[in-house]
Amino acid sequence: MKALQRLYVALILIFLYAPVAVMVMFSFNSAESVWIFEGFSLDWYKSLIFDEAMLTALEHTLIIAVLSALISTVLGTAAAVGINALQNKLAKKAIMTVTNIPMMNADIVTGISLMLLFVFIGKFLGLNESLGFITVLIAHITFNLPYVILSVLPKLKQTDSHLPEAALDLGCTPFKAFFKVVLPSISTGIATGMIMAFTLSLDDFVISYFTCGHYQTLPIVIYNMTKKTVTPDTYALSTIIFVSVFVLLVLYNALQSKTDKRRA
Amino acid sequence: METTKNIVELENISVSFDGEKILDALNLEIKDKEFITLLGPSGCGKTTTLRIIAGFLEQDEGDILFEGEKINGVPAYKRQVNTIFQRYALFPHLNVYENVAFGLRVKKLPEKEVRAKVEEMLALVNLTGFEKRKIDTLSGGQQQRVAIARAIANHPKVLLLDEPLAALDLKLRKDMQKELKRIQTQLGITFIFVTHDQEEALTMSDRVVVMDSGKIQQIGTPQDIYNEPKNAFVADFIGESNIVDGIMKKDFLVEFSGQSFQCLDKGFNQNEAVDVVVRPEDVDIVPFDKGMLTGVVTSVSFLGVHYEIIVDIGGFKWMIQTTDENFVGDKVGLYIEPDAIHIMKKSEYSGLYGDYSSYSEEMDHLSDIVEEE
Amino acid sequence: MNKKSFGNRILTSPYIVWSAIFIIVPLIIMVYYALTDANGVFTLSNIAGIGKYKKAFGLSILYAVIATIITLLLAYPMAYFMTKMKISSQRMIMMIVMLPMWMNFLIRTYSWITILANTGIINTFLKSIGLAPLKLINTPGAVILGMVYDFIPYMILPIYSVMSKIDNSLLEASSDLGSNSFSKLRRVILPLSMPGVISGITMVFVPCVSTFYISQKLGGNKTLLIGDAIEYLFNIGPDFYNVASALSLVLMLLILLSLAIMNRFSDDDEGGVII
Repeated sequence: MKALQRLYVALILIFLYAPVAVMVMFSFNSAESVWIFEGFSLDWYKSLIFDEAMLTALEHTLIIAVLSALISTVLGTAAAVGINALQNKLAKKAIMTVTNIPMMNADIVTGISLMLLFVFIGKFLGLNESLGFITVLIAHITFNLPYVILSVLPKLKQTDSHLPEAALDLGCTPFKAFFKVVLPSISTGIATGMIMAFTLSLDDFVISYFTCGHYQTLPIVIYNMTKKTVTPDTYALSTIIFVSVFVLLVLYNALQSKTDKRRA
Repeated sequence: METTKNIVELENISVSFDGEKILDALNLEIKDKEFITLLGPSGCGKTTTLRIIAGFLEQDEGDILFEGEKINGVPAYKRQVNTIFQRYALFPHLNVYENVAFGLRVKKLPEKEVRAKVEEMLALVNLTGFEKRKIDTLSGGQQQRVAIARAIANHPKVLLLDEPLAALDLKLRKDMQKELKRIQTQLGITFIFVTHDQEEALTMSDRVVVMDSGKIQQIGTPQDIYNEPKNAFVADFIGESNIVDGIMKKDFLVEFSGQSFQCLDKGFNQNEAVDVVVRPEDVDIVPFDKGMLTGVVTSVSFLGVHYEIIVDIGGFKWMIQTTDENFVGDKVGLYIEPDAIHIMKKSEYSGLYGDYSSYSEEMDHLSDIVEEE
Repeated sequence: MNKKSFGNRILTSPYIVWSAIFIIVPLIIMVYYALTDANGVFTLSNIAGIGKYKKAFGLSILYAVIATIITLLLAYPMAYFMTKMKISSQRMIMMIVMLPMWMNFLIRTYSWITILANTGIINTFLKSIGLAPLKLINTPGAVILGMVYDFIPYMILPIYSVMSKIDNSLLEASSDLGSNSFSKLRRVILPLSMPGVISGITMVFVPCVSTFYISQKLGGNKTLLIGDAIEYLFNIGPDFYNVASALSLVLMLLILLSLAIMNRFSDDDEGGVII
């Protein structure tokens, strides 16, 4: 029974990783084919380093991910604190419902509706190019915000409401009390929200596709590559991304289990 | 403890939430260096009073004075009072040392002074050596001590304690009661203590303020409020009481349960209707034919130190504490000394308390009160 | 008290303004486009014209339902078996399951072409052992496989996280009351893990029904799903924004409807779905 269970888990994992394995393997192919493996080489990695378009896209992706993660974290944390303190049940419910919209709605609908807004504003302002850096950034902040809010809110709920009062009692101004007492107790939620926002933003294709104009991010470049015949350089790029995410995750987990142990 | 200076004064304080009056024109003077307890059932307004003094809550009407100066609207962090919260509200991300140092750090004291002060405080609460411990590794009693050290490190003139012992078990609670009393006398700080536990209030306080429905029912020393309760609510809330309707025939003579009794009270109108309180431990059980009152035992419970028996006297059930063994169905006589009788004016509480007919329900009522606010 | 609510307003108002402009207004504009023609005149012809896309809608729903069911059937035992492992292994497997989610989904999907194509890995293998090649790519099956593959982590994670929080004493109590392991699964674990199942279903169904890439790559251009139609129309140019908006609006209503149906099964009204 136990063995069967393990086999099942193993099969699902193989299913999950088969395409990854294929991708990694063919990124080392010496031929320009993603069908037939002819021999090992690092050529595709080398050519990647000199691919101007790819590097620009990578830069765009990182800029958007960092900025949108930071802005949505600040905005979202402030909103979560405010929402948590809200006395009016109805207002709270209304805000939470709106917050859920970008999470529940299909990406394509979110992307299109934002595009329509930007085009509309562009037309209004008489711009001939309404989509670009600002619009992707706004779009990313918009879909990141709910994730930040929903990571911070539960932490706020867990925080003893007497803690900020205790800080006031001991002489802190309300502003100081927030930074000295509330912020530390919700910091894990904020960090989770920020990491989630960052990774969602890195990975987003659909919403960026409709809102980026000529400011192409990496997923857009990859999309354009897969429209033509794919060459192993796309796989090489993905392998690099995969390995970096893998390293980040391992580090994050190691860090977390360390803090868990210290706490136990 | 006789000091004349008032440290905190509440004048006509009223507070409402959602149209419901929580405090109703409350007046209270708190003397410097005294241990005063706000006592009452949940919802009586005692915690609200405390939060108004702390500055977490603003009164709708009335004034609050600190050392004679009005401090209406002064925010919590500018008041020279500190609070010990019900569940301590220790900062989970800081260790014991940093928790105690918190207020000192906010004041930006030099590190050397902070260190000395924290050590002194930890020694005072017997927690030397716990500096580096995380809050969640401490027991309830230890957390309680950290909360005390943290609150008094700032040298408040007044310490507010919001049911600080409610979360501790009985044995620990008794120890902490003594400990708090010791700290209070040692430091000479005014303690304003909130509790629903009448025994705790009686043991620790210089003065007790009994509250109900947003009003003060009685202020006095523990002896005063036990021996001379002002109305049926106080008589019932503090200890056990048999409260019966009586008529004051003249000074020193009262009639109840169809009999006349000598008493020590005077100053009532002739034939004024009054409430008569007789504490269960002040009634003697005597043979049936020698009793001033007579009745039938309807229930007996053994409590170790004494028996608690219920005696039906003409339909009114009396509770009596006695060391003699009696059995259900026994016909007994009751003997009441003049100094065992206490006469109170009629009040809105008359007739609500003091009959033990529904004894078990009353126990339920008591356990409701013990629930946290 | 007034000071407090003033502070709250300062904290929440930037967010409220933001979500009004970038969540509510865009949807209103979409509705506006859906109900007007290219000259901005009110018309219902866009909505009426949706009939032309009946087949695309039907296929999208059909594929999404099939993919969601298969995903659930695969993910549920996976989550269940995971909870029965050592804690340290659970943690590791969780990480392994999540890792592909952080890989670009275009690449993940595209890699399947390498595996499924007529000259792909499977068919090369079949040929080498002397079997006839199979028609794998550009079939409905391939599209559904792509959906299952891309979104299965979104099913495993919520089910697993709900299941792993089931109080062990409940399982012991059910054994104590005479349940064998099957009835324990049916009577205790299954009902208690329903919130996870429901959020898993919504998290898989919504992207499946609205996808526009998987079908293009794995289904050839033979299977036109609603997402493809919307993307196609928007790419032709502004003249088709109105029709495309109408399609998006209907897609959104369809999703809202299915969410509402799913919500009837769960009574958790706050929080929503979090990974």
